[in-house]
Amino acid sequence: MLLCAAGLLVACGQQNDRNGNGDRNGNKVTVNPPPGTSAEQPALPVGVDKSPMDMSYYPENFPVLKMQGKAGQQPVARVVYSRPQKHGRTVFGNLVEYGKPWRLGANEATEIEFFRKVTIQQKKVPAGRYVAYCIPYPDTCVGKMKSHLYTWGLKIDSTRDQFAFEIPVAKTIYPYEYFTMQFQSAEAGIELAMMWDSVKAVLPIQ
Amino acid sequence: MKRLAAIVFFLATFIPPSEAQFKIPALDKSPMDMSYYPAEYPVLKVQNKISEPLLARVVYSRPQKNGRRVFGELVEYGQIWRLGANEATEIELYRDCRVNGEKLKKGRYTLYAIPQPGTWTIIFNKETDSWGAFLYDPKKDVLRTDIKTEKMEEVAEVFSMAFTKSDDGVNLVIAWDDVKAAIPFNF
Repeated sequence: MLLCAAGLLVACGQQNDRNGNGDRNGNKVTVNPPPGTSAEQPALPVGVDKSPMDMSYYPENFPVLKMQGKAGQQPVARVVYSRPQKHGRTVFGNLVEYGKPWRLGANEATEIEFFRKVTIQQKKVPAGRYVAYCIPYPDTCVGKMKSHLYTWGLKIDSTRDQFAFEIPVAKTIYPYEYFTMQFQSAEAGIELAMMWDSVKAVLPIQ
Repeated sequence: MKRLAAIVFFLATFIPPSEAQFKIPALDKSPMDMSYYPAEYPVLKVQNKISEPLLARVVYSRPQKNGRRVFGELVEYGQIWRLGANEATEIELYRDCRVNGEKLKKGRYTLYAIPQPGTWTIIFNKETDSWGAFLYDPKKDVLRTDIKTEKMEEVAEVFSMAFTKSDDGVNLVIAWDDVKAAIPFNF
């Protein structure tokens, strides 16, 4: 419930931003302190989040493959992210503004974990966890990975940036209702596909 | 009509194969969620209001009761239960701690339970990144501990996990249907 309430409040905050009533940088997070942290009244989340969380592994569906005995001990990569929905809105250039950092999801900051070292656009990325976000533009987006973990998606601290990648975006024929991140096989390694509305960005990973 | 058919044919033929083959993952019926100790840690972090260090996090999926009797029926007594749905429930401890009095090293574990009326056996297992409890292997257990459950007056529709502060540490409170249990941690 807390997470849900927080999500709603943050969503309301965003709405205000777009109407010009709030902080236009989206940096103001107005969330009431969790009311249920005392010992006598344990807080329990009762509703499910509006933008539910999801997980994508490489190899794809790693836990299922593992269960079937078709996968090794450890995956290569995993992303944990939340899935906002289009709901009839134009997403890019409107709901998600061009040129401004976007959290690649909703609620908790999107978390990418590499279980071994990888190479992305000739840059060596050590194994570990990163917060992922991006700065979208009409034809491209700058994907960023930073070290400031376990945080909320708004109020992005770009001083902690560790990696930046220029990712071309393509138009899709059909709009994606749900924001989707998915690791998938590519000709040379892996790619992380990110889709929402009529836009798709693909980041190759070796 | 013929022209319409031609247009439909044209569109159908020209969908790039990669997009036609890519299956968009639908929203999960039992959506995933995350709970931290301190509660709402990510929100506190962006508000610069952190007063306690990060101690634990659980990532789990949230099945719903949907009018069913959960314990003793949907979740059978005496059987291993995945404490969630879909991907195995993952608990991460950022410090060495005691769970119900027993020592546990910091790290990432899969969490299971064996429910009985009035008591649950909680299991920390080192096989992570797994699915459900289908792969459960007791040889990979790191810790097993029994906790008491209590009846709730109000029914929890959605399976829920949340860390809360207790008198001398932290509880991971688990609730579904009319049953509630708390795993006590001391960090």
